[in-house]
Amino acid sequence: MVDVSTAVMTVEMIQASQAGLKAIGAGLAVGLTGIGTGIAEMSIGAAAVGATAENRDLFGLSLIFTVIPETIVIFGLVVAMLLLFS
Amino acid sequence: MLAPEQMSRLMIAGTKEQMGPVIAELYRRRLFHIEDFVGQEEYAGFKLGMPLEGATEASVDLLTIRAASSAFGVESDGVPAARRVSGPELRQRIQTELPEIDAQADELAARRTRLDTRSRELEARIAELEPFTAVSIPLEYYRGYENLAVFAGRVPADVAITAPHEKEFSGSKKGGFLAVFTPLAHRDEVERQLQEAGFTPVSIPDETGIAADAITRYREEQKSIATELESIDRQLQGLKEIHASFLLAADELRRADVEQAEAPLRFAVTDLAFVAEGWVPKAEAAEITASLERVTGGKIHVEELPIDFVHDSVPVEFNNPSFAHPAEMFMDVYSRPNYREIDPTLMVSIVFPIFFGIILGDVGYGIILLAIALLGRRYLKTEGWTLLLNNLRNASISSIIFGVIYSEFLGFALPWEPLLFSRHLNIGGGEHGHGPDAAALLIVSVWIGILYITLGRIISIVNHWRMDHGSHRTKAIIAQTGWLAFMWGLLIVIWSMFPIPYMLDLTTLGNVVPLIGLRPAALVGIVMILYGLVAIGLDNAFELVEAPTVISHVLSFARLIAVGLSSVAIAMVVNYISIGMMIEPALANLTPVGIVLIIVGIVVFLFGHALNTALGILGGGLHSIRLHYVEFFTKFYKGGGRKYNPFGMNRLYTSEE
Repeated sequence: MVDVSTAVMTVEMIQASQAGLKAIGAGLAVGLTGIGTGIAEMSIGAAAVGATAENRDLFGLSLIFTVIPETIVIFGLVVAMLLLFS
Repeated sequence: MLAPEQMSRLMIAGTKEQMGPVIAELYRRRLFHIEDFVGQEEYAGFKLGMPLEGATEASVDLLTIRAASSAFGVESDGVPAARRVSGPELRQRIQTELPEIDAQADELAARRTRLDTRSRELEARIAELEPFTAVSIPLEYYRGYENLAVFAGRVPADVAITAPHEKEFSGSKKGGFLAVFTPLAHRDEVERQLQEAGFTPVSIPDETGIAADAITRYREEQKSIATELESIDRQLQGLKEIHASFLLAADELRRADVEQAEAPLRFAVTDLAFVAEGWVPKAEAAEITASLERVTGGKIHVEELPIDFVHDSVPVEFNNPSFAHPAEMFMDVYSRPNYREIDPTLMVSIVFPIFFGIILGDVGYGIILLAIALLGRRYLKTEGWTLLLNNLRNASISSIIFGVIYSEFLGFALPWEPLLFSRHLNIGGGEHGHGPDAAALLIVSVWIGILYITLGRIISIVNHWRMDHGSHRTKAIIAQTGWLAFMWGLLIVIWSMFPIPYMLDLTTLGNVVPLIGLRPAALVGIVMILYGLVAIGLDNAFELVEAPTVISHVLSFARLIAVGLSSVAIAMVVNYISIGMMIEPALANLTPVGIVLIIVGIVVFLFGHALNTALGILGGGLHSIRLHYVEFFTKFYKGGGRKYNPFGMNRLYTSEE
């Protein structure tokens, strides 16, 4: 039985939990921005498919429109990398 | 370079006798972009021309050729023929062979339609007869009574009928078929009882004998129709092989005839004369004039008109060195440049592959993509595919070069250390010491963004200088300097507050000014920001809302590194799972299970890298081009140029006459 009140936190434990929190932060950054991008691309994608079905020449342009919100998840990725690697 | 082809506006005037030779010469040279006559004011008294002689015959031939082509299933694949047919020979063949081919196609097509119709008819008959197979009463017994009413149809289950009747029922789990014969006097009663039981009547087919026999007969007939259809299809296929090249060439020849014969519909004519206006590349203007004079024996007047940029929309043709041609595709997807603005194709053609290489810098993937591009060019020969595959080829070469710099091969390290920055991740625990230089790489990508956006703004200043005039020009140019000052001012403020590696460090420059709490450099930056905001607002106050995009557009270039690192991560994870976790442990201790593991490992390896290659094309290509479209072009590019579409034909199957 460990007595919680007298438990000692070693430096290693602190470092490990810090690394863990960093990893959680990085995961949240990528995951949440990914959801945001998905929501944003949802309606653009639907409209783009509709436009392409009407006129196949619009494929290139609609692909570009669809990837515009990807900036959001890229920012998330950048934040995650800064957390993990620096 | 950096500008579209210079154009001249030509006016060609002559008597109507010269119209034919002039049209033929213009068509042959394929340089004259006709400006359609739409009854402009300066042409009072002129009217639209009539088609030349032979237009109707050519159109009729074209209809016949197209009908035969569609009957045989002949389609152009856009690939030039190995052997071109000469005009006179082809004309002769159209005269002699076309009627016969047309008759063959007509006959086969008509027979095909007839058989198809009969087959569908039989199908309907069989469907009608199907219910009656359940009961073996000859079909003629269902009709022709004076005193009996007949009901035939489907019921969920057998029905008990109280009135006098004769009944045949055949049931299954899904319900059954019921035939009831009853005297006319009880007809209503029986009908009511049947309806209550959920009876759905079916129509009684106009046939005799047992239903099952009739169905067998019809099935036999259907089978023979199917064999006949097959034989017709074989004949059509055979005729297609014989006549395809002739039909394609004839189509092209007659199309050229029609286009030439109908050209006067775009000219202004009087009873005796005609005038055609249009555009030719400046370099060719003198030669076109000379050759028109030659074919008409000097009986033609060709004049170069001044260009009025307010009213004329000059057709735009790219003018780039040959290595930049593939990038023209990206420009046309967005919008063709305006005639007077800077054409950024050259920059796109250089920077796009570099961006692609920065994202997908890997020797292995580069070689795979290069192989795809080179192999694909053998099979996909249409113009669009060639341009796309050439872009892929350029991008993959750049990818190999950056792969050497990053020292990467399918996620493995090459036998040397990365030359500038490392992207090697620490996956699976590690021998590689310090992990990737993520922060340094991100700063480099931000630098790329700053410089590229600055370039875009400078181009915008040049464009406004060229295309606008008056106070609007001054305001627009000042606004562009404002955007530049805003961005660089912001940078100076940041630099004076935080030391950032690979960037200017202004934190040590001068002492903090008391009261304000900032260094002198920051004050300079703030002045620049304020100037920028005022300059932007003077041109258009609504643009101020866009100010934060300065930050987001610069940071958007971080995708060059972020997307790239994620691709490296996928490659290394695939390697770690397939080799580190499956193949290596299995090889260390070889057992039957181990051999299965090795095979699974190889599958994972191949599948993973195939997936990552596809992602690499999508990620590398889309993100690189998007940085141009969204972050670069929005700074200066207007587009909306009219495509230069010269009168004439890109011949694939016929030679010039």
